[in-house]
Amino acid sequence: MLKATLRSFLAHKGRLMLSALAIVLSVAFVAGSLIFSDTVTRTFDRLFASTSADVTVDPKQDLKSSVPTGAVQTVPAALAGQVAKVAGVAGTHADVSVQNIVVVDGHNKSVGPTTGAPTIATDWYLTHRSPVKLTSGHAPQGAGQALLDADTADKKHVRIGDTLTVQAQPGTFRVEIVGIATFTTTNPGAALVFLDPAVAAKELLGSPGRATSISVDAAQGVTDAVLKGRIGAAIGTGTYDLKTADEQAKSSAADLGGFLDVIKYVMLGFAGIATLVGVFLIVNTFSMLIAQRTRELGLLRALGADRRQVRRSVLTEAVLLGLVGSTLGLGAGIGLALGLIKLMTAFGMNLKTTEMVIGWGTPVAAYVVGVGVTFVAAYLPARRAATVSPMAALADAEIAGIGKPLRTRAIVGGIVGALGAAALAGCATASKTASAASLLGLGVVLTLIATVIAGPLLVRPVIRVLGGAFPALFGPVGRMSQRNALRNPRRTGATAAALMVGLALVGGMSVASASMSKSFDQQIDRTLGADFIVQNSNFLPFTGEITDKVRGTAGVGLVVRQRFTPVAVRLPDGKRVTTTAAGYDSQVDQVAHVAYKGGDTAAALAPGSLGMNVTFAEDHKVRLGSVLAVEFPGGKRAEMKVGALSDQDSGSGFGTQGGLFFGIATVQKYVPGGQDSSLYVNRAPGTTADQLRSRLERTLAPYPQVQVRDQADYKKLVHDQIAVLLYLVYALLGLAIVIAVLGVVNTLALSVVERTREIGLLRAIGLARRQLRRMIRLESVVIAVFGAVLGLALGLVWGVCTQQVLALQGLKALAVPWGTIIAVVIGSAVVGIVAALLPALRASRMNVLAAIAHE
Amino acid sequence: MSTAAAEGPADDGTAARARGLTKAYGAGETAVLALDSVDVDIARGRFTAVMGPSGSGKSTLMHCLAGLDTVSAGQIWLGGTEITGLRERELTRLRRDRIGFMFQSFNLIPTLNAAENITLPMDIAGRKPDEKWLDQVIDTLGLRDRLKHRPAQLSGGQQQRVACARALASRPELIFADEPTGNLDSRAGLEVLGFLREAVDQLGQTVVMVTHDPGAAAHSDLVLFLADGRIVDRMEDPTADAVLERMKRFDVGRGSSGPEED
Repeated sequence: MLKATLRSFLAHKGRLMLSALAIVLSVAFVAGSLIFSDTVTRTFDRLFASTSADVTVDPKQDLKSSVPTGAVQTVPAALAGQVAKVAGVAGTHADVSVQNIVVVDGHNKSVGPTTGAPTIATDWYLTHRSPVKLTSGHAPQGAGQALLDADTADKKHVRIGDTLTVQAQPGTFRVEIVGIATFTTTNPGAALVFLDPAVAAKELLGSPGRATSISVDAAQGVTDAVLKGRIGAAIGTGTYDLKTADEQAKSSAADLGGFLDVIKYVMLGFAGIATLVGVFLIVNTFSMLIAQRTRELGLLRALGADRRQVRRSVLTEAVLLGLVGSTLGLGAGIGLALGLIKLMTAFGMNLKTTEMVIGWGTPVAAYVVGVGVTFVAAYLPARRAATVSPMAALADAEIAGIGKPLRTRAIVGGIVGALGAAALAGCATASKTASAASLLGLGVVLTLIATVIAGPLLVRPVIRVLGGAFPALFGPVGRMSQRNALRNPRRTGATAAALMVGLALVGGMSVASASMSKSFDQQIDRTLGADFIVQNSNFLPFTGEITDKVRGTAGVGLVVRQRFTPVAVRLPDGKRVTTTAAGYDSQVDQVAHVAYKGGDTAAALAPGSLGMNVTFAEDHKVRLGSVLAVEFPGGKRAEMKVGALSDQDSGSGFGTQGGLFFGIATVQKYVPGGQDSSLYVNRAPGTTADQLRSRLERTLAPYPQVQVRDQADYKKLVHDQIAVLLYLVYALLGLAIVIAVLGVVNTLALSVVERTREIGLLRAIGLARRQLRRMIRLESVVIAVFGAVLGLALGLVWGVCTQQVLALQGLKALAVPWGTIIAVVIGSAVVGIVAALLPALRASRMNVLAAIAHE
Repeated sequence: MSTAAAEGPADDGTAARARGLTKAYGAGETAVLALDSVDVDIARGRFTAVMGPSGSGKSTLMHCLAGLDTVSAGQIWLGGTEITGLRERELTRLRRDRIGFMFQSFNLIPTLNAAENITLPMDIAGRKPDEKWLDQVIDTLGLRDRLKHRPAQLSGGQQQRVACARALASRPELIFADEPTGNLDSRAGLEVLGFLREAVDQLGQTVVMVTHDPGAAAHSDLVLFLADGRIVDRMEDPTADAVLERMKRFDVGRGSSGPEED
């Protein structure tokens, strides 16, 4: 039996090729993402392990903000001397290292990385743990001198002797580059500027007596943990965070990890899509092979093979296919990881391909995914194969399994679909974001499953409509292609399902993102009253110098600052909510239209008061006049009165849950050294908008990190941010479509083989090659469009429900991007034509006589 | 082509003609001659049967005459047209417009109903069928109440009748039938042969049938006997017994079984 299985596997290897390709793709993404993240993790673990001090003393991080505030938390530099007295301490150093700076060259261009990685200014203090060494020039001596890292110098064409401008929070200063420092370890992608330790604290922190952390060297024989305990006992742990080298390395890696996790999850998303779509392809391939081999299987049964043996022989074939696919996929995954590592290098993160890590988990995951998926996908077809009766060997067998009733599918699909619809309806009417989101997730999964199950039932009605015009448009060729697509609904359904999954995702995401864009537009129209906004395109805060320069620009009438701070509020319902609050200048009414349910702007911005979103307030039993305990960074606390309840959207998706705001003086009081995030600018009477814009642009020329935007520009900025999300979805879609095309090619190719005799006859009675090709092309188009219509319909429902969930967060507008949807339908027809190219060519090349005689 | 036209006059009562028709498979030492310089004339308006033992080349002869297969040497005319040397596209059109086919295994399109199968060649050509003629064919074959049925809903005999109607529907110059009774029981087989006979006698069609069944051959006007790629004998107004007797002589000559060619 095994011999027969092997023979059969080898005999059908051509027909299994596309299935193998689908397995290769999914395994490659799984293996590639694992290898990549293992490599990156190992590289950075090593980097941070080698650069972390034995013990580090940091300022207490009690509140972390997801919105950058620009404030730098510090410790007194004198703490270094205090710690040095602790027994077991060999040495201490007061570190100065900040990221809230911008460094520009002589052409007002930033020398910082364009990838979102930070620019770091730090003191030049060389130890055995330093990640860099001086490779040319000399160490910086006094103010006005600095070192630059070699990668940045190289990329931005900075040489020794060049002058750079450093825009730091205390003030802008110019430095001459006197030397180049080269990374001895992996460069994580940041730009580094080194200053003389004697001046670093004053220039970067504004005071020579501050430091950002204290690095401690342990004496011989003292463990990090013991030393950490002793230092904690000496200086107290109330205001300081103490970390051993291991803890420091872990926390640094975790900070970087966020970015790397994104890459990992994107890759796993690709793997997931590839696997999901691949399953359909494999199910279809095995179903078709078994249908074609009905007579052969019947013969095996007639000769005495029992059902289990038949089933096992099919599953053995599947496992063989899985093994081959996984092995190739593992190889492809290594290639993919190599490519990603190279890509990271292009982004300035110098990973070494020679240090690639392939942990034992990678091949295990690869084979589990590859073989597992193939096995699962082949299981149903294998069971069907086992039910072939011995009589099939004797019958003049037409292909089996065509006319079997789809009743089970109808019932299961109906039940799952009803549950999914109920979940979606529930999500659309829910009033709490959390429950709505989980209902949405459940509804999406259930309706997807239902559509996949019930897909074959929809084949007849939908394709009747879609292909209804074919006979009129394309004559008998059109009629035959429509009928061929209807011939085996199971097969058509499964083939289209692959395309459906991808397009449903796209449909949903495009509705959601179009709705988001529209909502933001409406919100901007409704609330934004400023002529111009000065802002960083990544919403990063900027130095006070910029604010001063903007204020000083001729023609500027009013400047309202916006500044963020992390806070935690204790609410009357007992909950403690950590969020980010905004501070505004008092004339905010002139640059924004805020509606209040109670109170007004003046009451909200008054000292000791705050404003809050009315829905959030109601949810937490806050009333106008309630007094709340508010915590600020660094352990500062205040009792604040609720002065106003606004209609302003709470924006919990952007880290500003509750829509808390107060006067900017409050922020300055509790978070000194913070930076402004936005400036809302109105023109003075007598100045035109164009005049002011060009003046502001001239003022801001030395500050490449901020731009002037009017309302239209601001909308575009928001749209661009949303578009980034869409690009990712489109990339996922691209992959899904590639595999779906493979699926359509696969189905058509196997159908062509199956219909060899029929095609021979058509050719004999005078069907031209061109007509035959058109027939197959039309069949392919109708299958692809069927998948697209089903997918988009599902996606539209998902999108509308997603919008309902977003509406709970204030994104109330619904927009359906009909242009995109029509383009996708047309695109799917093109996909159908492309997929039919090879099968059609193959069919038209068939020898007529051989085809007629074909069994 | 001008010489061909001169050698193959359009109207001398010949529907198809072959001269020096040779078909070889393989090349050099291993070449097998399926047809060895065959000269044949198919008379218009008659029912011609081609018989011969397995491997005698009868199917190859039919395929070549019908423009389904290429020839190694020699010339073939269909009416006044020399088809040897025609390009693939012209051959396809010729088959579509001027030739009708019947095969042993019916070869109907399973997705089309009987009526659609019958008019398929004309549909492909984009021509309107001649309704009067079509009605006559359908009634002659007794398919009136089966027109909306799919092939899977028809018996073997009915399917072959549909195939027969399809071959007749476009009123082709020549109908080729390749073992049309091979897959039918004797009663259904007789029925189909009766229809072919009627097509010739009452509808004035020209039919060439390849068969190995002497009983089927007896329905024809003329039997051509093939052996080893040559026409070795002919018999006008055959009877089943006479044909059987003639066939037995082949068996004596070369043993009862040869390699099956199709």
